[in-house]
Amino acid sequence: MRHIMGVDIGGTFTDFSLIDDQGGITLWKEATTPADPGVAVQRGLEALANAQGLGVDSFVGSLDLFVHGQTIATNTVIQRNGPKTALLCTEGFRDVLYFRDGFKPDRYNVSLPRSKDFIRRDLRLPLTERMDYRGEPLIELDEASVRAAARTLKEQSVESIAVALLWSIMNSSHEVRAKEILAEELPEVPVVLSSDVLPMIREWERTSSTVLSAYILPRISSYMIALEKYLSENGFGQNLLVMQLNGGTATVKQIIERPIYALASGPAAGPAAGLYCAERVGVNNVITIDMGGTSFDVCMVTDGEPALTKDMRVHDNPVGVAAVDVHSIGAGGGSIAWIDKGGALQVGPMSAGAEPGPACYELGGDRPTVTDANVVLGYINPEFFLGGRRDINPDASNRVIEESIAKPLGLSVEQAADGIFQIVNTNMVDAIRVVSVEKGIDPRGYSLVVGGGAGAIHAGALGVELGMKQAIIPRYGGVFCSYGMIASDVRHDLIKAFATNTSEFDLARANEIFAELEAEAIAELRAQGFARSRIKIARFADAKYSNQIHELTIPLPSKGKIKKSDIDNIAEAFHGLHERMFSYCVRESAVDLFHWRITAEGRLPERETPIQKRTRKPASEAQKGTRMVYFRAFKKYRRTKIYDGGKVRHGMTIEGPAVVEQENSTIVVQPKHTLKVNRYDDFVLAIN
Amino acid sequence: MPNISTVHAPKPQAKSIAKRRVSVRARKSAKTAVDPITFSVVLNRFNTIANEMTLTMEKTSWTSIIALARDFSCAIYDAKARQICMMDALPVHTNSMHVVLKEIARVFEGDIHDGDVIVCNDAYSGNTHVGDFVTACPVFHKGKHMFWSMTKGHQLDCGAFIPTSTPAAAKDVWQEGLQLPPIKFYEKGKRRDDVVRMYLANVRWQEWLYGDLMAQLGSIWTGKRRLIELAAHYGNDEVERYIEAIFDYADQRMAQEIRQMPDGDYEGTSWLDTDGQGGTDIPVNARVSIRDDRVHVDFGGSAPQTPGANNSSFGVMQAAAGIPILCTIDPSIPHNDGCLRHITAEAPLGSVCNAQYPASTALATIGPDDTMQDAVYKALAHAVPERVTGGNGRVSCVPFFSGTDTRDGQDRSWGCMFFNGGPAGGASSKEDGWPLLITSAGMGGLKILSVEMSEMLYPMRVDKQEIGADSMGHGEHHGGPGVEIQITPIGGPIECHLFGDGTANPPHGVMGGSVAIGGGSYKENLETGKRTYCSSKGRLMIEENEIWVAHSSGGGGYGDPLQRHPEAVLESIFEGLLTVECAAEVYGVVINKATMTIDWKKTEARRERMAAERDPLEVVVPTTPGASDWVQKRLRDGDEYLIDPQ
Repeated sequence: MRHIMGVDIGGTFTDFSLIDDQGGITLWKEATTPADPGVAVQRGLEALANAQGLGVDSFVGSLDLFVHGQTIATNTVIQRNGPKTALLCTEGFRDVLYFRDGFKPDRYNVSLPRSKDFIRRDLRLPLTERMDYRGEPLIELDEASVRAAARTLKEQSVESIAVALLWSIMNSSHEVRAKEILAEELPEVPVVLSSDVLPMIREWERTSSTVLSAYILPRISSYMIALEKYLSENGFGQNLLVMQLNGGTATVKQIIERPIYALASGPAAGPAAGLYCAERVGVNNVITIDMGGTSFDVCMVTDGEPALTKDMRVHDNPVGVAAVDVHSIGAGGGSIAWIDKGGALQVGPMSAGAEPGPACYELGGDRPTVTDANVVLGYINPEFFLGGRRDINPDASNRVIEESIAKPLGLSVEQAADGIFQIVNTNMVDAIRVVSVEKGIDPRGYSLVVGGGAGAIHAGALGVELGMKQAIIPRYGGVFCSYGMIASDVRHDLIKAFATNTSEFDLARANEIFAELEAEAIAELRAQGFARSRIKIARFADAKYSNQIHELTIPLPSKGKIKKSDIDNIAEAFHGLHERMFSYCVRESAVDLFHWRITAEGRLPERETPIQKRTRKPASEAQKGTRMVYFRAFKKYRRTKIYDGGKVRHGMTIEGPAVVEQENSTIVVQPKHTLKVNRYDDFVLAIN
Repeated sequence: MPNISTVHAPKPQAKSIAKRRVSVRARKSAKTAVDPITFSVVLNRFNTIANEMTLTMEKTSWTSIIALARDFSCAIYDAKARQICMMDALPVHTNSMHVVLKEIARVFEGDIHDGDVIVCNDAYSGNTHVGDFVTACPVFHKGKHMFWSMTKGHQLDCGAFIPTSTPAAAKDVWQEGLQLPPIKFYEKGKRRDDVVRMYLANVRWQEWLYGDLMAQLGSIWTGKRRLIELAAHYGNDEVERYIEAIFDYADQRMAQEIRQMPDGDYEGTSWLDTDGQGGTDIPVNARVSIRDDRVHVDFGGSAPQTPGANNSSFGVMQAAAGIPILCTIDPSIPHNDGCLRHITAEAPLGSVCNAQYPASTALATIGPDDTMQDAVYKALAHAVPERVTGGNGRVSCVPFFSGTDTRDGQDRSWGCMFFNGGPAGGASSKEDGWPLLITSAGMGGLKILSVEMSEMLYPMRVDKQEIGADSMGHGEHHGGPGVEIQITPIGGPIECHLFGDGTANPPHGVMGGSVAIGGGSYKENLETGKRTYCSSKGRLMIEENEIWVAHSSGGGGYGDPLQRHPEAVLESIFEGLLTVECAAEVYGVVINKATMTIDWKKTEARRERMAAERDPLEVVVPTTPGASDWVQKRLRDGDEYLIDPQ
């Protein structure tokens, strides 16, 4: 039997999901080993091999695909425990990292602390050189200045080097030569060039992206290379694929060239998973949501493409490259409800986390959380929390909500609990509006896809607020992200800078750039074994009105050469997007284009998923009892049917109000809503 | 060692605070009953709407002054022109936009219709200064006027007699440029093309300004759309009820906050460098009176209005009194009418703080605003010393550049306000200052333009843009550093207009912290080496064989430098903020240069000696005008120093 495998290293657990060629799913959890994460991976593989009755080598040999998600890069950056890293920059510009964009995020907090830069000034060293805006050298690279810097870095025992020079996007020769000299002077130390990582205008974003890359490179490369070696020694004949922040995967070799793509890759798999569940039922406009203990993540997927952002930051440092736009707010089951100084009810962003956790855990938490509210309202079954694996005390929930919220606001306990439920829903609705309405997208044409955790309790209520019609709730929330990784295609994003304008469009040069970028991407994917027919190329450009400062990314015709007749459509694509997003456009104005982008995807073979037979049994077969549950629509508790989610099958229909309980999640079916199971065994909530 | 809190600072007398639980909880009568849940939801929605208006402005405007310097603000008012919610990209607008809106509503009373857009830039109609262009549209739902959706944005140009929207040398409103009292650009949804054409005919760089006008319209229309959705969802009556509750909420929180400040009258004095016409060291006095839950600021005793453009308008005077107060309270209190009604301000008509028609107020939001704020901060240092900061820079070393772009065979007029060399912010009782805070009017809400974007958009080269070591006021927390910047014109001269302040009168120090350098700028002839220094205002032509150089000021210091931890001093050296020499001279920290480590023994001895020998520390320094010697120290034979050159 052949297998495919997704492995996701999380902070606490390393998750394995193994899918065989019949569609059978095996899940495994192994405690993460932070000192050497590879240990947990090997342990997990051994355990899974054992369970199959195979030796590790024959098991690894049975894998057709191995996709790896990791938090090593993110943790290195968040915890700032990376190697000693230096930056070489253009003379006169040592403080690009320090000045940032000059922005102080909170105007009225006079004691706002400033986060530390990743490289202190004594390791930001100037090179004597300068290019102009056209890429013509004003000052040739003084090689002695590179060698002098190298000597300082050697004395300082620097372990990784970023090189980011002004205008290297127009002419990278000084950066390339500096790298050659560093290879002679410091052969052991890796060097990352800004012109490789992010060839985009704006030196701060590019420098930051390069510095972050250099900072995570040594750790990630030693880990990845060791894992790749281990796998190949055990008979794995394919490329190890690594999840990237753009929602696609890449080979280890690619990640080592551009390490920034390994950062923040965990959440990027969620939208891919949501899309996977939606596309097989013919839906490709979805909003994926994932509500955990502390945060709520949301992402728009339009026409099968997750929304991307270029504004992702880590400790105020821009990542720069386009990343799946997962918008995250502090709203989860553990979010704390509180009354502010003016007497207004607030929920979050602080969270009780797993410890002390909600009051009902009785681990010392004495502040009401969203989970406590859900217990009081009857949405969460105290007897069956996490499938009965954790004892919770509903009296504790009642007590803290009464004392902290109900009494001070003059409300009953259930009104206060419902208030918490409403406020956290409002916060989540606002987060969804940020990625949809505020970007000119009407969410009413979209389906919600609900990831693991507490999301399915709230999904119906969110859908009503947003005017959405349907929520898809995958049956296996726990494998959401590993599903996503396995479903992700191999993807490379390439960028080149070149200025032109729709009124004097330099077609020849634009087509030349795309030809170069596409040849590079296709050669790489062919080398990885993708047939040309499995390679999909899409083209984009960053556009703005002349003299506007900020750009929008617009799609360009992706087949054949760009023709003169396409130019009007390109301009119109920009005007239209601008109008949708910002209420106006200026059609009489020409449009500037500057960054040329391609995304090249190597499509993996489609997978078969088992199809469920329709049952003739009525839903009542799955009912396990009733209990009192509060619904805002009735403004009171009402005796409500409770279903065993494990018994709810394709062909059954559950009319709201109802609660469906599964081991890892609970679905609240609001009055007038209807819940069904589709032929792929996922729940589908119809919202009215 | 003298302890600052026992030397000069009066110990604040904490008032007994009535532990009154303020609350939005249900009021008795059914008509005014407020559901706390709906309250929180509606409060949040207003914030989200104003935020979306702000994003529209920032992302789509065509000039760097709005897109980057974020010299704009978006706000929502009720039909009575009371501020419901504001996302203040730039705080100087926070406490002043209702002033101009009230005038707009008065002028068009009985003639306000759905689809109208009213604009105004006239400082004597309650606007801040001529550069600030207001767009406002009434929002109707079910035939009822419910809201105003409003933006204010600083334009790149307003048709002044010189190419800048901040003409320091303007002597009256007619030299400032086109004056627009409240006037309709749209009537019942139809654009008055003739009026818009008249406006554009009177400004430079029309295409760009048209883009910015569209961005401002896009912003208010976005706000209008969302406000109508809100009214439709809850109904007019409900929304109005919750607006009152939102005002009450902020009112009560603000009252609570001010009651924590000690009652009393506190005074501060600050000085403007120049008036734009050669007059120097113009005093601004502030008397801050705290009584129970009210703060009143009186700028009486300040200088008479000046013959140049460095005068304040009524609107800016209101804002300048309010911002320092808002910076000393809990930042989470919404800045709506309920909050702002606790702060009042006055200044004699005809004074530099409240000029009389037709005096020019073209720089009101810059030098006058920041100098008035400095005076208020200095007064507050005596009332709430733990909450104030050292002085901030006042837009010095931020020129307005213009010229002709002849690159690639073009012949195109260009202009930009260039913020990259701007000054820093002052230190607080807990943190060092931020770089590039640039102005108390903006409080760090401004962004700089990337060097590469600058060089692509404009015919200039940036030769250097780095930290200015030792440029800040020192203290237990030091101010942010100034910037050292150098610019070379490409393919033709650059006309450079300076319009800032605070170089001769540098950012102040508090609670034992020291004053910053003030800094300044000059042009240098590359053939002769001659340097022409310029005061914080004035016009310089940077010819092709010349460069423009600026060393902006750091921010003022907070607290006793001898109390700064030696490790923190060393870290500032590694960060390039302080030199080893300054560490020894000012902080008493002796560094072994070979090993770059602290010599603890020598440090201890040195600190002890310094503490014994020095004068008692002051609550606020300087106490006299013209405290910066930055230019005097640098002038060489053959160099010149020009004050307000025209």
